[in-house]
Order: sequence, then C-alpha cells, then structure tokens
Amino acid sequence: MNELWPRLLVNYPYLAAAILFVIGTFTVLTHPNLFKKLLGINIMESAIFLTFVASGNIRGGVAPIRATANAEAVYINPLPSALMLTGIVVSVSVTAFALALIVRLYRVYGTTDLRRIVVRRKEVTGDDGFAQG
Amino acid sequence: MTALLRANLPVLVVIAPLFIAFILTPLARRIRLVETLAFLATVLGLGAAGHLATVVFARKGSPFIYQLGGWPPPWGIELVAGNLGVFFALAVTGVSVPVVLFARGNLTAEVGDTGRVTRFYVLYLLLVGALAGMAVTNDLFNVYVLVEVVTLSCCGLVSARRHPRAAEAAFTYLILATLGSAFVLGGIGLIYMLTGHLNMGFAGQELGRVWPDYPHTVLLAVSFVIIGFGVKAAVFPLHVWLPDAHATAPSPASAILSGLAVKGYLLCLLKFLYGVFGGELLRELAVHRILTLLGVAGIIAGSLLALTQEELKRRLAYSTVAQVGYLVLGGGLLNATGLTGALFFLASHAVIKATLFLAAGAIQAATGKSRIRELAGVGRKMPLTMAAFTIGSCGLIGLPLFSGFIGKWYLLVGSLEAGMILPVVAILAGSVLCAAYLLPVIRTAYFRPAPAVAWRDPGRPQKLALLLLATAVVVLGVRPGPFLELARKAAAELMAFV
Amino acid sequence: MRDFILKRAAALILPFIFVYGIYVILHGAVSPGGSFAGGIIVGLSFVAFATIYGIEKGKAKLPEQVLVWTESYGTLWYGLMGMVGLGRGVPFLANKLAGVDLGTPGTLASGGLIPLIGLGVGIRVASTIVTLFFTMMEEES
Repeated sequence: MNELWPRLLVNYPYLAAAILFVIGTFTVLTHPNLFKKLLGINIMESAIFLTFVASGNIRGGVAPIRATANAEAVYINPLPSALMLTGIVVSVSVTAFALALIVRLYRVYGTTDLRRIVVRRKEVTGDDGFAQG
Repeated sequence: MTALLRANLPVLVVIAPLFIAFILTPLARRIRLVETLAFLATVLGLGAAGHLATVVFARKGSPFIYQLGGWPPPWGIELVAGNLGVFFALAVTGVSVPVVLFARGNLTAEVGDTGRVTRFYVLYLLLVGALAGMAVTNDLFNVYVLVEVVTLSCCGLVSARRHPRAAEAAFTYLILATLGSAFVLGGIGLIYMLTGHLNMGFAGQELGRVWPDYPHTVLLAVSFVIIGFGVKAAVFPLHVWLPDAHATAPSPASAILSGLAVKGYLLCLLKFLYGVFGGELLRELAVHRILTLLGVAGIIAGSLLALTQEELKRRLAYSTVAQVGYLVLGGGLLNATGLTGALFFLASHAVIKATLFLAAGAIQAATGKSRIRELAGVGRKMPLTMAAFTIGSCGLIGLPLFSGFIGKWYLLVGSLEAGMILPVVAILAGSVLCAAYLLPVIRTAYFRPAPAVAWRDPGRPQKLALLLLATAVVVLGVRPGPFLELARKAAAELMAFV
Repeated sequence: MRDFILKRAAALILPFIFVYGIYVILHGAVSPGGSFAGGIIVGLSFVAFATIYGIEKGKAKLPEQVLVWTESYGTLWYGLMGMVGLGRGVPFLANKLAGVDLGTPGTLASGGLIPLIGLGVGIRVASTIVTLFFTMMEEES
C-alpha cells in the first residue's frame, strides 16, 4: 500500500480520470433529472478524453508542431489528441440531440424529472403507451 | 471503369449509401425522387457487396486489403474484406433493400411531413453505410466512429415518430448507448496504451506478447469492451432500452434496428474478442464462460419476458433480446461449429426479424390495432401479410425447412462439442418458449372470426417487400448451401486467432 | 440600455470572431484547431448574432435554404476531395499519392488536400451549429 501512493501521484491524470468516470457513471444511472443524466454522460466522456490525451503526453516534450521547435526536441504523441477531437465532436452531437429530446419531453410532460414523468405517463399518453401510430 | 470500381470495392460498399444520403436533404420536397434515390442507394450497396463477394471468392481465402489514402498500417486505416466482412456486408445490404421498399409511400402516416420523411431516409442510409463499414474495417478507432454513426442514426430513427413515448424511448436509448460508447472508447484507449497500435491485426499480435505483464489493465480493457458492446447489443442484463426503443420506432426502422444494428455491435464485439484479444487470453480470463452464461440467461429471460407482453411489437422486441442471447452463446463457445451457427443465425435472424416487424407494421398500419388479442381475423383479411408473419415465426421457432433451424442446429452441435449441457437445454427451451409466444398471435389471427370492418390493404411495394423477405427465410432454410459455406469460412477466419 | 450596449459591442466584435474562425479553419494543418474547432467558432458567431439581434434577423442573414445546402454539400465536398485520387488508381482519400503538391510544411498552402477538406468540414460544422440553434429556438416558441 505504501508503494501505491507514489504511483498514484505520478499518474495523477489517470487517477483524476478514474474518479471523473465513476462520478459520471453514477450520475447517469441514479440521478432522476434528465439534464443531470446528460451532464453525467459529458463528465464520463471527459474522463475518457482525459485518459487518452494523458496517455500521449511525454514529460518534457514539446507540442508536435514542426515549424516552431528545434530539431532535437521530443514531440509528444499527437495521435491521441487527434482521435479525441473526433470524440469531442461525437460528444457535442450527442449532447445536442439529447437536449432536443429533453425539450420535446418537457413540452409534453411539463417536467424534466424522470420520476414524475413515469407517474404522469399514464395520464398523458394513455395506459400502455400507444394504440396507433 | 469497372477496374476502377473493382479496385475500390470495400470503400464503395460503405460510401455509396453515405453519399446518396447527403444528396437527399435538399430534395426534400420531391418525395418520390427521395424514395427512389434511397432505394437505388441500397440496391447499389447490395450490388457492391455482391461484387465484393465474387472478388473475394476468386482470391480463394486471401482477404481483399484496402488502405485508405494509400497509407499502409500502422499509419493508415485498413479495410479488410475477408469472408467475415463479405458475409456481414451481404447480410446488411440484402436486408436493407426490402426494408426500404416497404417504407415507400408508407412513412407519411407514421412519421409526418416530407421533411421528416426525408430525414428518415437520410438516417436510414447512414445506418446502412456505417453497418457495412463495420463489416470491413480493421482499425480500432474506425470501429468507434462507425459505432457512433450507427448509434446516432438509430436514435434518430427511434425518435422519428411524434408520439411522446418515442421521445422518451429515444432519450433512454441515447443515454444508455452513449454510456456504452464511452466504455468502448475507454477499452480502445486501454488497448492503444497497452500495444501502441490502432490496427486490429498489429494490436492483436502485440497484445498476445504483452498481456502477461499487465494483467489488470487487460482485464479492465476486456470488461470495458464487453460492457460497452453489451449495452449497445442488448445482451441480457443490459437490454433495458431495447423494448421501448424498438416498439416505438416506425416499422421499417424497427426492422433494421432489431435485425441489423444490434448484430453489427455483436460483430464488432466478436472482432474485438477474437481478433484483438485472442483465444488464449479469453480462456485465461474465462470470458468465454461469461459469454455463454450471459447468452443462456438472455435466452431464458428474453423469452419469458416476451410471453408477458400484450403488444405485438413489444413482444417481438423482447424476442430480439432472446435471439441476441443465442448469438452471445454461440460467440462464447470458442469452436468453429458454434461460431458458424452464431454467424448463420445472425444473418437468418436479420431476415426473420425484418419479416416479422414489417408484417407487424403492415398490420398496425392497416387495422390501427397493436394488441395481440385485438388482431382477430387478420389472417383472412390480409392473407399475404399474415402468411409472411407465419413463415417468419416458423423461422424464429426453428422448425426444419426454415432458416432458423440451421443456425440453432449448429449452435447445438457446437455446445455439445464444447462439452456443455446448459446451452443445449437453453437453446431447446428457447425454441419452446418462442413457439409459446408466437403461436398465440397466429392462432388469434387465423382462427378467430374477423370483425365486420373493412381494413385497408397494404400497398404493392409493401407486399413485394414481405414476399421477398419471406422467400429468403424459406430459401435459406431449404438450400442454405452457399450462404452456410460462407458462414463456415467466416467462422474459420475468426477461429484462426483462437 | 442593456440591449443597446450588447448590440454595439456585438457589432464591433462579431466580425472579428467570424474572421478568426475562418483563420482557424484555414490554418488547420499548421496550428492547433483545424476544421472542427474553426467551424464551431464561425457557427457560434452567427449564433451570438441571432441571440443578440433576434431570431428573425438571424434567419434573414442565414435563410434555411442556405443552411440545408451548405450542410449537404459540405459533406459531399469532402467525398469529392476523397475521390480526387480515384481517377489515378490510388485509394480513396489519397493525398500525396494522388499527385497533389504538398508544399512546404509550416506555410498556409501546405498539406495538399487537407485545407480544402477542412474548408468543407468547417462550413458544414458552422451550418450545423446554426441549424441546431434555430431548431431549438423554434421548439421553444
């Protein structure tokens, strides 16, 4: 155990990412508010991005841009950052779509609390959900 | 020109539907043109997949490797069209053609005005293109991008109807599917950190050498990948989004979601587990036992839950959970027969589920009823639709002469070869339960007297689509020869890593 | 009074934000940023305009038809750039192999097809952000 603490402190990005991931997952699965669920997804994805980007870092390296550095420099790995740009795009799209769905749900049910939506589902839409399209 | 097409076939199968999807949006007002273009796009995809199949057969086992941008791996993205890729690409494009034919002229009632119908077709073509991409890709991050495209198109398709349940089901699906995607991305990140490669072949080789040094990280990567793909493919305990989502989607969307989208994720899971992690690692971590147990639980739980559903489309959706259990069971058996059974079952279930959902959709559109006990007399008034439903049900139950029988037979033989009795019991029990939840529908439709109202018959494209799919179920059951051979070779390709 | 200050400040700043976004798009191969981030900046400048001056003026500046066209054709532009190499027998999305002149790294005209693809992607992303904003504002009213 006493050799665990120095290791954890050296790998602080991964420790932070793990804590964020657990917080995000827990929020998504347990919080009843729809907006908070969406925020939980965002926190989770931020944790994954942090893991990826931190894995590309080299302590003492410089940014991987050719024109601005001297010839002897150690460049950090640009690939995880480039991959995470795609991940961020996906996260933004998912957030936008989920927000549109939340707005739609709010206009029907008048609430963004999932517990109240479940209760009001019967009175708003009929007992089982739907009889016709 | 043909040489140009032949040289670029793996990428054409993916981008033909994608590009035509993006032409559709400005043409939203001319809805007939949009529908025709969508149909042409799926037919082009099928043609490209078929041509790719002949090219791969002519090469007799060596896969068609295509490097995007001309960059060889590990610098570039590699597309590998081997037997497995061709198998799934044929299944995807083959099922997509009748489904888009069914949607012709039928969507305005379910979805809304022409703008929304155009968006439906755009999402549909994106889904088909991305699934075809999942078949051929050999790059880990490309898998993630395609998984996200499939997820977002599926959520868009589920939310197409204006009913409030559709929005709720789409939201649940979106949140849980993104949860799964985050897990998958985490798994890919861990594999990249362990091996330094994003190409599946290189990552697999490196992981085979490196994994005894990092047992905990590899365990974490395997669990992330299984949970991530498991949530998206509705493997048993993680299936909770599926009944709402597939029951509230418009019927062509339910057909392609149940039939192909969940199978695409399962195919990616198989590629990861067999191609990147490898059989030795799976046996060491007992992953194959976990998969088999999850499959057994899925079959029993899905079938039992389907028995309790009153509504036809929800019953079919729970049935999908059970059938995914069969596939996971087959994937966990780790022998060639079981894997052949799983792959053949994958394709045959895609056809069967499409038939069932489209028939259910036609019935619901014509009669306006969705409860099973209200469907009395449908067999007399809509004979073709109900006949297609019956053929699909026989295929799903696994009666001989229908395609489901062959898949289940190979799964049974594979389980016996692996020395496990529990899957055998589960497969047989699953077939009995499947009969138990599908035969009452058929009985109500045929043997109860019909009410005296007049029901609108489905149009000609819908009947043609149902006829094509039902014929495919029977043909695959009676003469499975070439397709079964393809499935066997695809399974052998996966087993080469075990 | 508040509106007056916002409108005057926006009239001064928003053009610069717009140009900065285009700068980030075009210099994607040379400095951090690239097509996606630049596209977001351009799109957000329009969103800020629509927020401050009102949705009607925002829609007058970017009518729906223009947005639909830029969304579809931005992606098709990407595909067309990818097909440049197909005529010469190199795979899809080939850059150097397709014989495109790569230029000197570090200058603006380097990277071959990459800035062109980035332009298409940036325009598309900008129009997507504006479309999303208009859709959500419509749903509310």
